[in-house]
Amino acid sequence: MTELFAAASGEVPGISEAVLWAIIVAPLAAFTAITLYLRKLPKVAGYLSIAAIAGSFVLSLITLVDVLGANGGIAIHTHEWFQAGPLEVALGVRIDGLTAVMLVVVSSVSLLVQVYSQGYMEGDPGYGRYYAYMSLFITAMLGLVLADNLFMLFIFWELVGLSSYLLIGFWFHKPSAAAAAKKAFIVTRIGDLGLLAAILLIWTRGGTFAIDQIHDLALAGTLGGTTITLFGLGLFAGAVGKSAQFPLHVWLPDAMEGPTPVSALIHAATMVAAGVYLMARFFPVLEAAPDAREVVGWIGAATVVVGASLALVQTDLKRVLAYSTISQLGYMMLALGVFGYAVAIFHLFTHAFFKALLFLGSGSVNHATNTFDMRRMGGLRTLMPITFWTFLIGTLSLAGVFPLAGFWSKDEILLEAWVNNKGLYTVAAIASFVTALYMFRAIFMTFFGEYKGGEAVDHEDEDSHFHGDPAHPHESSWVMTVPLLILTAGAIAAGWWAWGKEFHHFVEAAVPAEALHKAPDFSYWIAITSSLIAVAGIGTAWAIYHRGLVSSTEIRRIAFPLAALLERKFFLDDLYERAFAVQAFQRGWNRLVEQFDTFAVDGTVNGVGWVGQQSSRVLRHAQTGQVQLYGAGIAAGVFIVAIIVFIANPL
Amino acid sequence: MLTLEHFLTVGVLLFCLGLVIALSKRNAIGVLMGIELMLNSVNLTLIAFSRFSTGPAEIAGHAFVAFVITVAAAEAAVALALAVAVYRSRQTVEVDQLDLLRS
Repeated sequence: MTELFAAASGEVPGISEAVLWAIIVAPLAAFTAITLYLRKLPKVAGYLSIAAIAGSFVLSLITLVDVLGANGGIAIHTHEWFQAGPLEVALGVRIDGLTAVMLVVVSSVSLLVQVYSQGYMEGDPGYGRYYAYMSLFITAMLGLVLADNLFMLFIFWELVGLSSYLLIGFWFHKPSAAAAAKKAFIVTRIGDLGLLAAILLIWTRGGTFAIDQIHDLALAGTLGGTTITLFGLGLFAGAVGKSAQFPLHVWLPDAMEGPTPVSALIHAATMVAAGVYLMARFFPVLEAAPDAREVVGWIGAATVVVGASLALVQTDLKRVLAYSTISQLGYMMLALGVFGYAVAIFHLFTHAFFKALLFLGSGSVNHATNTFDMRRMGGLRTLMPITFWTFLIGTLSLAGVFPLAGFWSKDEILLEAWVNNKGLYTVAAIASFVTALYMFRAIFMTFFGEYKGGEAVDHEDEDSHFHGDPAHPHESSWVMTVPLLILTAGAIAAGWWAWGKEFHHFVEAAVPAEALHKAPDFSYWIAITSSLIAVAGIGTAWAIYHRGLVSSTEIRRIAFPLAALLERKFFLDDLYERAFAVQAFQRGWNRLVEQFDTFAVDGTVNGVGWVGQQSSRVLRHAQTGQVQLYGAGIAAGVFIVAIIVFIANPL
Repeated sequence: MLTLEHFLTVGVLLFCLGLVIALSKRNAIGVLMGIELMLNSVNLTLIAFSRFSTGPAEIAGHAFVAFVITVAAAEAAVALALAVAVYRSRQTVEVDQLDLLRS
C-alpha cells in the first residue's frame, strides 16, 4: 500500500519504491557475500563493499534530488509483514525531507570512510571481516532512517547496536577493546529498555506502530498527557543510550578502542546521531508533551557541559574528539528541547562532516606516529600539511567560526535557545567557549611545537601491523587524504544549504505543520557574540598551550579539586563500576539469584528425586517376580473397579 | 424354565473357579487349565447373551465364541510349547520358581 502526502506546494516524490529498498539491500548483499564467500579474499571484499555503498550513495542522491523536487513531500510504501491476533506489523519505507537528508549523510560519510579504510586497515588480518561488519552497519543505519514504523525502526536500531559492538571489539584480542565493546553494548541496552517500553506503551494505548499515525495521535491529544509524556521519555531513554547523553555517555569514550574509521563513521557521524534522529522523527510527541521536551533540553545541556569539560583534560587525541562528539550531540538534544527541530537536524548534518573529518584526521596522524597520545606528538604541521590543514578547517568549523558549516548550525541553536529558554542559552554559550578551547588545545599540542617522537614500533607485537617509521612521520597515502579533502569541502560548505532557510523548510515538511514553531529570524547580535566567544576560546588556547603565557600546570594546581574531578570523569565510571556493577549486582542481586538457585531451583529438583527414591524403597517390596501375585493384583483391581462402578451406577 | 440369570451364575462361578486355579496352582499346566476354564466361562456367557437377545445381530455372540475357541486352541498350543521349553531349560514348571523378573 502506498500513501503519498503532498508538500505545501502540492508535489509528491515520484521515486520508485524499488530504489528505496535497493538502498538498504545493496550493502546487505555485500555483507552476505563477504561473510559467506569472500572471507579468504579480503581485497575483493573491500572493493565489493565500496561498490555496494557507492551504489547506495548514488541512489540516495537520486532520492534526495527527487524529494527536493517535490519540496519535501512525503511518500510511504508499506506492506503487511505479519499478523498475530490484534498485532499487525508492517514492513515499509518512508521517504521525506528528514529521511532524504539522513540517507545522504549516512551514505556519503560511509563511502568516504570505506575508501579511507582501504589505507588505514591495510595489512590487518581482519580486513575482510572489517568490511563485512561495516556493510552490516551501513545496512542497519540506512534501514533505520527509512523505516516507516516504530517496530521496524527498533529492529534496525538494535542491529546498529550490534554492529557497533562488533566493530568496537574488532581487535577483540586486546582486553581493553573487548571490555569497551561489552560496556557499549550493556550501557546502550539500558536506554533501549526505555525505547522498548515506549513501543509497548504506544501499541497498547495507541494501537499502531506507524510513524505518521503516531504523529497524528500525539497532535490530536486523544492519548492523554501522561501517556504521551511517558512515551516521549521512553523514546528519549533510547536516545540517551544511543546518542551518549548524560548520564549514559560513559560508553562512547571507551568505544574509541575500535579502529579509527569506525569511530569516525559510527561513533561520530552516524550511529550516535540516531538518537537525535529518533527524537526528531517523533518531534510532534515532544510538542505534545512539554515536560518531556523540557527533560530533553536539560539533559542535552548537561551533556554539553560534561562532554566539553571532560574534553579539556584528555591527553588522547581520539578521546578529545569523543568527548567533543558527546558535547555536540548534547547541543542537538538541547536544540530539540527548545523547539529547534530543523536546527537539530541541521547541526547533525554539518556535524557529520566536520566530526568525521576530524576523526579521519586523527587516524591519519596515528598512521604516521603510531600513537594517539598528544603529549608524544607536536610539530606535525609541516610534516603532514594536508592532514594539518584539513584538521584545522574541521576544528574551526566545530568551534563555530564564520563562514564554516559549524558556525551556521551552532549559531541557530544558540538563537533558538535565546528565544525560548535563556537558561539553556547561557549553558550553551559558555560551553561553546570551552569547545573552542579544547579543540585548539588539541591542535596546538598535535601540530605545533617540537615533534616528540611518537610511539616506537614494537616489533615483538604480532598484532601490530604498523608500516611507517614513527621517528620520521610522513603524510598519509592518497586513499586517506582524498576523503579528508572531500570532507573538508563538506565542513566548509554544508552550512550554506541553510541560506534562506531552505534546509529548514525541506526537513520541516516531514512532520505535520501544527507541530512546528516559527523559527526565529537570523540575529546579528547572536551571531557576533557566538563568534566572539569562539575567538576568545581560540585565543585562550593559544595563550596557554602555544605561547605558554599561563602555565597549564599552574592552572591545574590552583583549580586542583576541579581538575581532579575532571580527570576522574566526574567519578561516573567509579559510581557505575563500584556502586552498580560490584555492590548492587555482584554483591546484591547476584547473591540473591544464587540463593534462589541453590534453594529454590536445586531444592525442587533434588526434592523430586528424593521423593522418588523414598517411595521406591517402599514399593519395591511389591515387585516379587511372582506372576501369580501380579495376576491376583490385576484381579483385585478389576474387582475394586467393578464395585466402584456398581456403587456409582446402581441397577 | 432356564433364564439368562442361571447361565450367568454358572458363568461367574466357572470364571471364579478358573481364576482361583490360575492364581493358586503351582504347576504351569494347572495354571493353563485354569485359564482355559476362564475362557470357557466367557464363551458360555456370550452364548447365553446371544441366545436371549432379540436384537438384529443375535448371531454375533456365536461368531465371537467360534473365534475365542480357535484362538484358545492356538494359545494352548503355544503355552504348552512354552512349558516344554521352560522345562528343558530350567528342569521345572513350578511357576513360583520362575521369578526371573525380580531383578
